[in-house]
Amino acid sequence: MATLHALRAATRSSSHFVPSSSSVGIHAFRPAASLRSLHVSKSASAEPEKIDWTGPPAPRDQVPVTTLTQKGSIQLRAVMPSNKVEYVLSTLDKIANWARQSSMWPMTFGLACCAVEMMHMAAARYDQDRLGVVFRASPRQSDIMIVAGTLTNKMAPALRKVYDQMPEPRWVISMGSCANGGGYYHYAYSVVRGCDRIVPVDIYVPGCPPTAEALLYGMLQLQRKMRRNRKSMLWYRK
Amino acid sequence: MPSLARTIRSLRRVGIREWWRQLQYIGDAKSGRFVGMDQFGNRYYENRNGEEEVPGRHRWVDYAQHEFNASQVPPEWHSWISHIRKEPPAQDSLLQASSPPWKTPYMENLTGTRGAFKTYNTAAPKIQPWEPKTTSRGEQTSQ
Repeated sequence: MATLHALRAATRSSSHFVPSSSSVGIHAFRPAASLRSLHVSKSASAEPEKIDWTGPPAPRDQVPVTTLTQKGSIQLRAVMPSNKVEYVLSTLDKIANWARQSSMWPMTFGLACCAVEMMHMAAARYDQDRLGVVFRASPRQSDIMIVAGTLTNKMAPALRKVYDQMPEPRWVISMGSCANGGGYYHYAYSVVRGCDRIVPVDIYVPGCPPTAEALLYGMLQLQRKMRRNRKSMLWYRK
Repeated sequence: MPSLARTIRSLRRVGIREWWRQLQYIGDAKSGRFVGMDQFGNRYYENRNGEEEVPGRHRWVDYAQHEFNASQVPPEWHSWISHIRKEPPAQDSLLQASSPPWKTPYMENLTGTRGAFKTYNTAAPKIQPWEPKTTSRGEQTSQ
């Protein structure tokens, strides 16, 4: 309290108007602005004179390594149109992919501690909703299943049933060591050694448990996988 | 905080071309000091003015690739952008002194491409699969 009075005195001496303590609202915060001069560290708002805002342009001649790995591959031939019909179809595919990847609705299959990290992905810090990822409680409304946790023998038929209830197209993310390959319970008598024995898995997220960041990165990898889809073009070629 | 004044200020600073690029890739009109560019052409920025950028969004990267992901940031710059190191890699003498010369060049995550990592084993397997020796019906087995 004594320091507060001292600071009040300091602000008064610097010829600022200080409202009485009975005033409420925004005026009550006014002394804080003048107190800022008491800080010894330099204010961040004090900018130097010359600032490079943009920097040099990005080099155009650099080929990204993902392009190099695609060179001459079947995947590249599958996604590159070779005539006008394929151009139209691949554009339609891209629109479908865009729609799918921007509203991924995962079915939560939280089985163990991984589910807590899955909840963290939904919470404010990682905020899956900015990617259009919304958890659905019903398998009939969802297109992704996140298998989060240990899949036991007793749970396996339920997992398969839920997977079968999901509409096409559907994807599965296996989250954590236990869902990937049994993990800690690999030698247990009652645990499925990996949920890929029950359902086909698209993305494996390693970790025990994986962080929410890792799971979100897995979702981004699944988006990348969705972007590669060229279903109508493959149908046309056949 | 996004506001009209901040958007116009950023537009005047970075120019209309960069501004449009930011809206396409970052989704926000940001302006800050250019800190450096890594070996892949990703550009890094910083704005520590609390009135212009929310604290926590004051360091950012402008990716070089169209299909960007966070693994395109090399580890040295990762430590800068997530506030593990204060200085960018070019000015960080400790980081330079502690980076070994035998370090392999960094590559982004190649999952889903032909360059994806596949594990392999060079040692002989300890378990041999059972190869049954069967004889067809009617043949004599050599005793």
